[in-house]
Amino acid sequence: MTTLLIPIERLGGATSAGIEAVGRAARFVGESAASVRDASSWRGQVVLQLRRLGVDSLPIAAFIALFTGIVLALLASYSFTGAVPLYFVGTLVEKTITLELAPVLTGLALAGRVGANIAAELGTMRVTEQIDALETLGYDPLAFLVVPRVIAGVVMFPVVVAAAMVIGVAAGAAASVLLLDLSSAEFAKGLRLFFQTFDVRYGLVKSASFGAAVTFVGSAAGMRATGGAVGVGRACTRAVVYSAVLILVLDAFWAITWLLGRSAT
Amino acid sequence: MKRSNDLLVGGVVLTVIVALVAGILWVKQTDIAGKRDETVAHFRDVGNARVGNSVVVRGVVAGRIEGIELAPEGWVNVRMRLDPSVQMPSDPVVLLNESSLFGDWQATIVERRALPNDASLLRDVADASRDRGVLPGASQPGIGKLTAVAGQIAGDVASVASRFGTAFDDSAARALHASIRNVADLSTTLRDIAQSHASDLDTLSGQLRGAVTTLNRAAGVVEITARRLDSASTSDQVRLLVDNFSQASAELRRAATQVRDLTQRLQTTQTRAESFLASGDSVLTKMNRGQGTLGLLLNDPSVYRHADSVLSELHTLAADIRANPKRYISVRLF
Repeated sequence: MTTLLIPIERLGGATSAGIEAVGRAARFVGESAASVRDASSWRGQVVLQLRRLGVDSLPIAAFIALFTGIVLALLASYSFTGAVPLYFVGTLVEKTITLELAPVLTGLALAGRVGANIAAELGTMRVTEQIDALETLGYDPLAFLVVPRVIAGVVMFPVVVAAAMVIGVAAGAAASVLLLDLSSAEFAKGLRLFFQTFDVRYGLVKSASFGAAVTFVGSAAGMRATGGAVGVGRACTRAVVYSAVLILVLDAFWAITWLLGRSAT
Repeated sequence: MKRSNDLLVGGVVLTVIVALVAGILWVKQTDIAGKRDETVAHFRDVGNARVGNSVVVRGVVAGRIEGIELAPEGWVNVRMRLDPSVQMPSDPVVLLNESSLFGDWQATIVERRALPNDASLLRDVADASRDRGVLPGASQPGIGKLTAVAGQIAGDVASVASRFGTAFDDSAARALHASIRNVADLSTTLRDIAQSHASDLDTLSGQLRGAVTTLNRAAGVVEITARRLDSASTSDQVRLLVDNFSQASAELRRAATQVRDLTQRLQTTQTRAESFLASGDSVLTKMNRGQGTLGLLLNDPSVYRHADSVLSELHTLAADIRANPKRYISVRLF
């Protein structure tokens, strides 16, 4: 009888653990949002975080976008050969880069770079009791440590993704002109054919949500780190994995809520 | 340090925003300085035309569609931005049509006399030409409509093919195969016949040719006769001929009646003759069987011999009577 109850007990335990995790995350987000009111604590940190999370992430985003644009142009020409006019390379590069690849690939790259960075920094502060010291000194650790990072993430992720969009499309155009039998005018024709400002808007809003997710997950993982260097390492791993999963979930969420039933033209 | 951070972040953000906005404006071909002229065209239906589609004049892209709006009385106004250097045709008409097979449309500005000879299109253009101040326009059917019709035809063909497939089973195929073989045999036979009768056919055709010649000649004679009849009809000879013909026919009718009576009598005589012959046949049969006196006479030689001997004795008796009448005849008066 007890053997039969074990799986049910495990299921119940997992369910309550999941609900607790969601509750903890929601509480963390709620407390962080409440800490925004304490502007004097976070105002001085924002610019620094904007630079560290945004500006310093530009090279990796540009690198990813550059090669993504080139590969996408070649992939499109390979797929279109003989069947579809080659100027549709421009259409495919623009749509794919702005709607999907620039936000998602940049988001995943920044989940590794930014999420792990935040988790390691805050985790080290936690295990070395620096956060406790802040609390002792009367600082709100959420307002001082989490809010500026989240604001920086929400603001700078779209900036980095916008740069990735421009670089990706430009790289696709350059690859089409230099490597394919396609003139710049034909590429521009394909680019303009189905272009909508919505494409850019969609990518930027999506990337802002990715920025919020990555910084919240990284901050939460770091703030809850325990057990010395091993605990910090575990927090970093958890931050990267959860951020990546959350990015893909949010990507699907935006596609379902915003793209579904919308015409491409 | 803080100032350099501010500068760096501000510079990056500004650069990215400028680059992004510039890129969008370039892709959308936005007329920032208002250098382009706006032209409005009037349509009943704009098909799949969209904002941003090219405007083409004599095959050259000369602008883009800036806006598409519904207008009163069932019209649709299409606003186009055109390069001011573009020289419009003298009597311009705007056609919305597909620029490729892949769904992209364009607005083509053409001269009215260069419109395709399509009654529906010309009617739409004439309808749109009533309003002044805007260009008349019409949309041409897209590949979607054409493919829909083609799809319907393909469906019908598939249905027919399916029915044919259902009807044309193995037995039908075998029957068809047998029929083809029969036709092949028949053609072989016909070829043999044709070869064997080729000379006959030549002869026949020669005869036919001769017959045709004769018929031509006869037709000539008939024509001459007709001409004569025509001339005869003018001098009452035909009426006389017809009177004589009617008299002759009456006499013929009478003769026919007499012949019919004679035939009936002959039939009666024939019936009697047949009856007589049947009786005679019966008698002869009996005689042949040796029945009756005549039969015995004909078939029994002893009777003949007796009769012959009787006749001989009668001769002898007659001679003796002639020689000695008194021996046999005694006349006594009293």
